[in-house]
Parts: sequence; structure tokens; C-alpha cells
Amino acid sequence: MDTKKWQSIGTVLGETNIDHFFFSLKNYKAKKGDIITTESKIPSSEGNIIPVTVWGKISSIESSNAFFPTEAAQELTNENIDIRDTILPMTRDELICKVIILGYTFKNNLKLLPLNYPVRPAATVSYPSSEDVEALLISDLGSKHPLFIGSLLARDAVKIRIDADNLVSRHVSIFGMSGSGKTVMVRRIMDELLKKQYPMIVLDIHGDYLGFIQKQKKLYPNNEVKLFYPNLSVSSEDKEIIYTLIEKLGNSLTDPQKDFLSSLLEKVKYEGGSLLKYIEILAFKARGFASESSTAFKNIRPASMYVAARSLGQVAKKLKNMEQTNFRHRQKMANLKFEELPDPATEPEKIIAKGQLSILYLKGYENLPASAIVSILLENLFKHRQEVEEEIPPFLTIIEEAHNFIPSRSENKDNIPSVETIRKVITEGRKFGTGVMIVSQRPSRLDETIASQCNSQIIFRMVNQKDQRATTRDSETLSVDDSKQLPNLANGQGIISGQVVNFSLPVQIKFDEELINDDIGNENFITAVENWDEKDSVKQRKKFAKDFSNISSIDKRKAN
Amino acid sequence: MSDEVNIKNKIKANSSLFINFVKNAITASPTVQNNFLDVTAQVALTIQKIIDDANLIVNLDYKGNDFWLKNRCKTSCFIDGGVDRTSIISSAPLSIRTGSYIVKPDAEDKNREFFEESMVFLGDLYDPKNELYDLSDDDFDEDQMLNKKKDGARIIFEAVTIVKHILLNRKFDYCFLHGPIEATVMPFTVMGFPTFTKFAVENMLPFYTKNKLNAEARHFINVYLEALKYIKQSKFPVYGIVETSNSAPYIKNLLYTYKSKGIISDKDFKNTLSTIKKYKITDSHLLEIILKNGQALKPLEVKKQIKGFSVTSGSAWEDKMESFPSVYIGYIKTNDHSSPIRIESLTSPVNFKKDFEYILATARLLPNYGFPVGLNIVDKFAKIPNWMSKASRRYYATHLLKQAIKSKDQNTISLAVKILSRKVRSWRNRPLGGMAR
Ligand SMILES: Nc1ncnc2c1ncn2[C@@H]1O[C@H](COP(=O)(O)OP(=O)(O)O)[C@@H](O)[C@H]1O
Ligand SMILES: [Mg+2]
Repeated sequence: MDTKKWQSIGTVLGETNIDHFFFSLKNYKAKKGDIITTESKIPSSEGNIIPVTVWGKISSIESSNAFFPTEAAQELTNENIDIRDTILPMTRDELICKVIILGYTFKNNLKLLPLNYPVRPAATVSYPSSEDVEALLISDLGSKHPLFIGSLLARDAVKIRIDADNLVSRHVSIFGMSGSGKTVMVRRIMDELLKKQYPMIVLDIHGDYLGFIQKQKKLYPNNEVKLFYPNLSVSSEDKEIIYTLIEKLGNSLTDPQKDFLSSLLEKVKYEGGSLLKYIEILAFKARGFASESSTAFKNIRPASMYVAARSLGQVAKKLKNMEQTNFRHRQKMANLKFEELPDPATEPEKIIAKGQLSILYLKGYENLPASAIVSILLENLFKHRQEVEEEIPPFLTIIEEAHNFIPSRSENKDNIPSVETIRKVITEGRKFGTGVMIVSQRPSRLDETIASQCNSQIIFRMVNQKDQRATTRDSETLSVDDSKQLPNLANGQGIISGQVVNFSLPVQIKFDEELINDDIGNENFITAVENWDEKDSVKQRKKFAKDFSNISSIDKRKAN
Repeated sequence: MSDEVNIKNKIKANSSLFINFVKNAITASPTVQNNFLDVTAQVALTIQKIIDDANLIVNLDYKGNDFWLKNRCKTSCFIDGGVDRTSIISSAPLSIRTGSYIVKPDAEDKNREFFEESMVFLGDLYDPKNELYDLSDDDFDEDQMLNKKKDGARIIFEAVTIVKHILLNRKFDYCFLHGPIEATVMPFTVMGFPTFTKFAVENMLPFYTKNKLNAEARHFINVYLEALKYIKQSKFPVYGIVETSNSAPYIKNLLYTYKSKGIISDKDFKNTLSTIKKYKITDSHLLEIILKNGQALKPLEVKKQIKGFSVTSGSAWEDKMESFPSVYIGYIKTNDHSSPIRIESLTSPVNFKKDFEYILATARLLPNYGFPVGLNIVDKFAKIPNWMSKASRRYYATHLLKQAIKSKDQNTISLAVKILSRKVRSWRNRPLGGMAR
């Protein structure tokens, strides 16, 4: 590292301390987010004075012409004077940068140490070469398993890597408004982790991850990518979830009706399998008890039993509908091989295995059943990691649209079952290797405990103030200056902070275009219309439409 | 409406005069209070008559757009100085700098304007010899001396900056100084006012080697006089511009001229002067009423340094006062609501009207403040930032201790420590000493 070769870009101003300083920047020589240095001297622990390189990040830039009095503008306008003709100054735009100090390095040891002595006012500020900045970031991160994600926002040439070990064990949250680049980021990380053979399961609601299965042969020949559709298979242990599902999906019930329902669940044993089937059995049994005016249930009148039976019928109908919707979506992608989700209790290795990515395609499912599916799945996988005889390796769970699965307490009126499960998985994640990645556009609506368990954050554009507040609340490392930047980020620009990096960094995420699912153009309605082919049934209808309309028009004339 | 009623209304509407009236109401006797309005009105009426008689009022032309189109080719230099505000005691070295804002509007961008740090000084401007011992016991004296030294430093540096521009043969059309072109030197004639260091004088006036720079030659009075003489020779016009006048040099001089011509009697002259003094009437007060927006008063020759002040009389400097050049003072009223600004020069202006119109135009660019915008700009530039003041204080502390330790004298060392540990406390809540601009 040859500090002498670095370009000088400004001068340290005024009063400095060990956290930050200001410097006046030469025109166009650096941007917000850039990493800069200044040479300084500090007392070493041995009592000598040593020369060090202090590194910092430009957190804000202000430009002002301190010498242009605002009053003058009045006269220029009133008298129609061109400022160029007057003695008013025009070239004194002063650029003042605020720098957050990252730490110092000594000689060629590129490990950042905390600065304990202020930088020198009037010292020169330099612009280190891209290679040196990158070298510093890599060396400082000191990661055994770095993941490449993009480049420093202000400097394309500086590649940014994050630490995989922290990522998979300490949990990450990815926030940003819709369309800001969250999913692109997740796919980037998944790409890197796949190459490291790390097992993952992603909850895919929109089909954003189907690109992995399409490109598997080409891009990931050494990996297994599985595409699952949910089957709501339950065992008798899941009684609570089943009860909740019935209660929330069905009609609202009175207390005696509820009592009947829970007694029914006790009575009708189930050896495990499809939830739908079980509910159909329950409905059948309930009708039976009602029609024979069974006295097996204390104080419950047959009328109540009928109501409960009807409600069970409703639930079954809804579940069938969701299954069918999901099925129809799958059918549209006939070239993709969907498999039914294996039973996580008995065959977890089919879901989590070294080198395998499992995509759980949840399109078509309402929140509550989706949550139930996820809850049962994770609960079982977690159990397998907890056991002494580990049947599956450590893995990462990626939760897209996380506000659906882990709503905050104030929003969680429906007792979403996945909240408890995910809370457990995330809290114990470090111990059992069950890392979680939470992706959401509404961080303010997330369960606070779970969100605060994420030790790293990647934040994309965010305009909503509530969400911004929630984000800064959960993060220990995101500075106020960083959060001010959030509304102005472009697609794919995010701020990474927390344990996957050593200090917060604005990053331009690399966009893997190949990983886009090219089957679903679900937001591309214009193209869809352009390529619109009329369905046969419609064509048929049109064939006779003219004749029918003739009839009706003649008919009308008669009426007149 | 009679002239008198008119004037009285103007006085009532005139804020600075009214403030003065309120001040007088607090300090002056009841008779003085009662008469204030009448007296001021009468004085104003009389002065207005004389001014009309002498034909001193000139209407200046200003058409914004047109004016600047014609004058965009002019090169102007605006000068101001700044002294740090945080020195602890009078023997502290000072940090001073003067800035020049040099602008030629029609030049291409990179040559259009320059912010030049014309003089910078951080260190012993005044000879520190013996100063360790002459620490005054009285905080107030000490404070006064400090302020005087700061003022002296600023005045000398501003003058020397003009000298430097002349010396470097700069091609200016105008040069403007923020403040009087010739300051009243009386405050610096006090006993014990230190001389400048040899080093400082050599750097300020490279051509000034007279008497091998003995102590007398290095005194403020002599150095300043030398600088003024040099400025007087300038090929380009140099003007000092003052925001408000705390005295009445123009009016007094005008009266004096009329007395000399025999138009006013000795008695009337004396009485009027004492009335002006008693009621603390200044040029600003009266001219604010008399002049209309865009009007100027032709410059009059005025002696700035007057013999016979109690401070100077008998002092070694008494005779020097005569050697100081006289000053030409004029006024411009630059907007409706501010008092007129004072324009000073060391020579009688050759193109008085043109020059004053230029000044008016620069003041119109600060329509509310009514002061030449170039001086406002350079004022901001020359201010010493706080951190530089701090640096100078640190520098001083080490400097003083080093000196004391070098002397190996225990008393000196403990004195130095005492000085350094002195609290800033005693400098607060003091009346502002020194001279106002
Ligand atoms: N890093 C990036 N570089 C370039 N374009 C991007 C990047 N990230 C996102 N985009 C663009 O924005 C679109 C939406 O991104 P996506 O990740 O799906 O948003 P989100 O998941 O936050 O709703 C992408 O299809 C792409 O066109
Ligand atoms: Mg998305």
C-alpha cells in the first residue's frame, strides 16, 4: 500500500474528535459514501508516537456559497441584473464533507483499529486507490468464507464481500420498499451459498426464485434444486394448529360450538397425513353426531353440532380452493418439475441436504394456511437439528414477505402460528445452525423480538417513516446519516450493516439477470395483452354473439 | 408642511436617532430630555441649510442592469481583517489575518475572482520583552490593553495589506477597506503600549528601514504613519467605508469652515458644538434625516488626529499628530431605512461622482443592509475561525511556559503557571473596551 500515490482531495477542518471530522473537498473529487484517509499521529500503547493512516467514510456532503448573501438575489431579480456582471462571487462553492471515522491502520497491517486520538486539523485528506480500499475491506473483514455481493456504491471498482459465517448463523434482515431490490439481493446471496453447498429453503410466494430451477443445469451443475408445493399434512401432535386453522378459516363460533370442536378433535383420532382429508372426516363425523343427537358431548345441543359441521365444511372448501389455485399456477409452468413437500417429520433429508436448495412455492395460499404450513415445516426441521442424532445439516431459511409470517404483536390478531416457531428458530439459531433471512417491505409491521435478533441488515430504498424508524431501531450500526440516505437510494442500492460487514457500507448489488424467472411476467400486463391469444371458449362464444345480439335488438324494437 | 415639522416627523420615524433619545432619557438631565426633539430638529434644520448653501448634496445615478453592464470590466479589491477573539491575556500572541476579495466580473471563470489571504500572522506581533512581568493586577486594565492591541493589530494589518497591493503593482480600478481609511491613533499613544517586533515590522513594511528599526520606529504610531503615507501615493483610488458614524466629523468640519469664512460667529460655532456633544448627535443621525435614498454628500477634508486631547497632550506623540494626512469624508445614503455610510479617502477623489456611484451600486446588492456587498463578502472570508483561535491559544501556552522554564527562575515559572491557569471568568460581563469601528 503506497499512501503517497493516493490523490489528495481536501483538507481536514476545524475541531476534530475520534468519531468524526469535517473536511473541505476539492470540486468533484469524491462522493458521499466514499472511503477516504488522512495521515495522523497517535500515541501507541508502548508510549511512542506512531504515524497511522486514519480511514473514514464520507457520510454527507454539503455545498454552499457562504459568500453569496441571500439579500443579493432580491436585487438581481428586481433590477434584472445578470450575476455575471456584478462583483458577486460565483466560484466559491464550498464542499464540506462529514466523515465517520472507521478506524486506523498502522503500516501495512490492514486491520482497522479503533481510533483513540483525534485526527489533525488542517491535515490532507486522500483518496485511496480502489485496490487499497478493497484490500482494506477484505483484510478488515477477515472472513473465512466471504460472499461477493456487489461494489461500493460510490466506487464501482471496489468489490464488496460479506461474511458467510455470520450470515448463516446470526440472521439477516433485508428491508426496502417493493421493487427496491430485495429479491435480487437474496438471489445474489443464494448464488454464493449454493456454490458453497450450503443448504437452504426459501419460502417463495411470488415465484421469484424459480429461476434457480430453470438455470440449475447451466449455473449450478453440482447442486440440487428442488421445487415443492405444500401439502398440508398434519399429525395428531399438530392439534393446536389444526384448531386455530379451523377457528380462523371457518365461520365464527360460539363457546359451546367451540367446545364441541375441541372435543371432536380429541375423539377423532388421525394417524397423520393430509389436513384436508382430516377436516373432511371431521365434518362428516360432526354431521353424524348431530343427526343422531349424540349425548357423547356434555351440554352441547345438536344445533351447535350442525353449526360446527357447517363451519368445518367451509374450511375444507377454502383449503381445497387454495390447493387448486396453487395447482393452476403450477400448471402454467408445465416445464418445471414440482414435487409435493415431503413430510418434514419423517423425511427431513429430502428437504434439507448438502448442496440442495429447496423452494417452497406458496402462491395461492392465504396467510393463515401458509403460516401453518411454514410453522409445521420449520418446527420439524428445527427438531431434527436439535436432536443429538442430527439428521440434517445446518441450513438457512429465507422468509420472503416476512410480515405475513411474523407480524408484530399488535398486528397479530389471528395468532399466526409461524410467529412462535420462527421466534424459537431464530433465538436458538446460533446454537443449532438454523439461520434465518427475513425479507420484508414493511419492517414496522414485523415482530420486534424477531427483527431485533437479526445481527445484520441490508436496507434498500425506504420512504415510509415508520419503516425507517423500525429499521434504525433494530440496527445498532446503522447511523442517522445512513438512514437519511434511504429514501434516495436507487434500485439495487442498499446499505449493509452489522456483523456481516465491519462497518456500514453503501453497496450497489450485483444484478444476476440470469436468475430472473423468465416464465412469469406477472407485472408485464402490456406485453401480456400484446401477445394475447383468445381462448378457444371465447372464440366459440364470439362466433354466435352477433346472431344473438341481432335477436335481442329486433326484440327491443318490437317492445318500442 | 413647514420644514421644521417635516424634520421633526423624520426624527420620530428615524430609529437610530430614537434609540439615542432613549439612551439620553436615561442618562441626561430632565431639561436635556425635554429638549431633545426640539434641539435635534433645530440642529438638523440649520445643518441642512448650510449643506444646501454649500451645494454639497449630489444625486447619484443607479440603474442596476445598465450600471453593471458598463462596469463589469472594472477590477475591484475589497479588504477586511480579522483578529482571533479568544486570547486570554494581553501579552498573548495574536492570530490575525486580512483577506482580499478581488473581482473582475467580465474575466473568464478562473480569473474572475480571487479570495486572497493577503496577510496571516500567528505569533508575537508585539515585542514580548518584559511582558511576563508587566501583568497588570487589574483585570479591567488588562482587558482594555488587550482590546487595544487587537485593534492596533487589525488596523496595521489592514493598512499594510493595501500597501502590499500597491507594492505589487496590482492593477485595480478600486480598492475598498472595511473601516476608516485612517483610524484615530489616539488610543495607541498611551504609556506602555508595546512596540511591534522587528520581525513583524520587517514583514509588514519591507521598505521601511529608517533608524534601523529602533523601538521608537517600531511603535504603532510610526509604522501606521509610514503605511498611510505609502497608501496616499496609490495610483488607484482607495476608500475606507464605515457603516455608522459614532461621531460628527463632517458636521463639525462644515461648521468650522463656515466659521472660518466668517459666516458663522465664533460664539454660535462653540455653542452648536457643545450642543452636538451634549446630545450625542452624530453625522449618522443628522444625515439620515437630511439625505434621501441615492443621495451623496461631497467629500470634505477633515483632520482625523487632533492635537490637544488629554491623552496625547504632553505625550511623546503630541507632535506626530500633525504629520498624519488629513482625510476626505463623504456620505452616501444607500437605501431608505439605514443611516448613510461614510466614505473616506486619503486624497481628494478625482472622480467623486463616478466612484460614489460605484459604491452605491455595490451597496444596492445588499438591499436591506445597504453596505457594499464586496466588503460583506470579504468580512466573512477574513473572520478567524474558532479553531484557529484555539490553536493560537495553545501555541501561546507552550510558548510562555518554555520561556519561563528557560529563565530557570522559580518565580517566573509560577507566574507563568498562574497566568495559564487564570480563568476566563474575569473577561466576561465587561463593558466593551477598545475602540469601536
Ligand atoms: N442490483 C440491481 N441492479 C440493477 N437493477 C436492479 C437491482 N436490484 C433490483 N433491480 C431492478 O429492480 C427490480 C425489482 O427488484 P426486486 O429485487 O424484485 O425488488 P423487491 O424484491 O425489493 O420488491 C428488478 O427486477 C430489477 O429490474
Ligand atoms: Mg421481492
